[in-house]
Amino acid sequence: MRGQKLGAGLIAQSQSALPPFILHRPTSLGEAVALTRQHPEAVIAAGCSDLVAQFREGLEPEVLVSVQRITELRAISNNSGVLSIGSGVSHAEGSRSPEIVSTVPALAAAWGSIATVRIRYRGTLGGNLLSRRYRYEMPVILSALGGQMQFHGGDITALPVSSLWERDSLWDRSLGNVGILTAVTVDTASLLWFGYERSMRPVSTVSLAVRKNPVAGLTVSAVCGSEYRQPFVLSHAAEATDITELDPVSVGQVLAAQLPDEAGDYAGSIDYRRHLVGVLCGRLLAEATGNQRKG
Amino acid sequence: MSLESPESNEETLTHNVEFELNGSPERHCVPTSATVLDLLRNSCGKQGVRASCERSVCGACTVLVDDLPVAACSTFAFDVDGARVETVEGLAAQDGTLSAQQQAFRECGGFQCGFCTSGMLMLTTALLRQNPQPEREQIREWVSSNTCRCTGYEMILESVERAAELAGAKQQDQVSE
Repeated sequence: MRGQKLGAGLIAQSQSALPPFILHRPTSLGEAVALTRQHPEAVIAAGCSDLVAQFREGLEPEVLVSVQRITELRAISNNSGVLSIGSGVSHAEGSRSPEIVSTVPALAAAWGSIATVRIRYRGTLGGNLLSRRYRYEMPVILSALGGQMQFHGGDITALPVSSLWERDSLWDRSLGNVGILTAVTVDTASLLWFGYERSMRPVSTVSLAVRKNPVAGLTVSAVCGSEYRQPFVLSHAAEATDITELDPVSVGQVLAAQLPDEAGDYAGSIDYRRHLVGVLCGRLLAEATGNQRKG
Repeated sequence: MSLESPESNEETLTHNVEFELNGSPERHCVPTSATVLDLLRNSCGKQGVRASCERSVCGACTVLVDDLPVAACSTFAFDVDGARVETVEGLAAQDGTLSAQQQAFRECGGFQCGFCTSGMLMLTTALLRQNPQPEREQIREWVSSNTCRCTGYEMILESVERAAELAGAKQQDQVSE
């Protein structure tokens, strides 16, 4: 049993009884930002499929701000080589969005493969990122794409998705300083190819993007995810001028060798994981070199 | 909505929820933290909505909200304010005639202990509304959202296929009438 803050007495730690909270349901971004300043310790809620699990794990906020009614957070656009995906977009909406399907089809396909049918209808992009669970896949997918989280109303405007796991960053600050996650943007102008491999989930997943560098050469970015460890970002700068010049096996091995020792866990030693990630990167690169469309 | 007046009552921490349940209007005052599962089972008496994992994993509590399958255990009640909610109790006709889905599960033995069945039936209902003639692969993907601890998945897959046949035949009968 545990007590909870708002006077409902003792309740069970799990199952059924959740501690009540003061509920706000703003309909505009401005209103939501004002609420986060007024209640810096509030919890932001969208689809709530993860949040309810957090409640059952002991979360007991005094104030909850549901952003589900803010239509601005559900916008998807593709302008001037930048794909912008609202944080309130559900997995089902994102994976079927004409803008995403036409711009980076493999992102849409990868997005449509995560979670289950039920969760895809409720879970949102913002929730998948900000719940910061190792096993969730959108951080892995969007980090390889160089996704940038856009914030509004705090002292931060943008942060890379890959910074979700950095210590002493955004995550130690109160909501009043951070503001609201409004969207994730992806630069599509320099993107040559993207793919996602989840056939070995939960042991290892790999997302991989190939970009053209501004001056010369290509950059291959890969992110290795797993159920039990934070995602790891791997990168390789190649002198190649065309994606077909990349050697899938050797580039895959170069990327896999960058995995730090702490990527090993009880599901697989670091040697095994490096081998596996090398194979998965090689598999994706083989596909990339034979198919140069974006995604 | 003003910042000074949240929709919940700060002293009672409750919230009014109005929604349509199986075609009938409902209005309830529930704690802000009530889930749709709490609302349906405790306030509306819909015991066909099963409580199991309470973490959106098993799907025993699947109901339809505006035609989409959701886990009632992991959706807050305030989120169905103004929505159309359907539970297993709404599937059969008023005279007790089983729906195509229920008939199919009965014919094919799509249940053993029956605990997951109401969730499976609602999942099937949502699938057939989106695609009246789903392929086995799509049925498998949808059914994999829910857990059957008796592991009777093959019969469940057959039941969904049979439900599509029965629903299609029923629709043809209605057209020819």
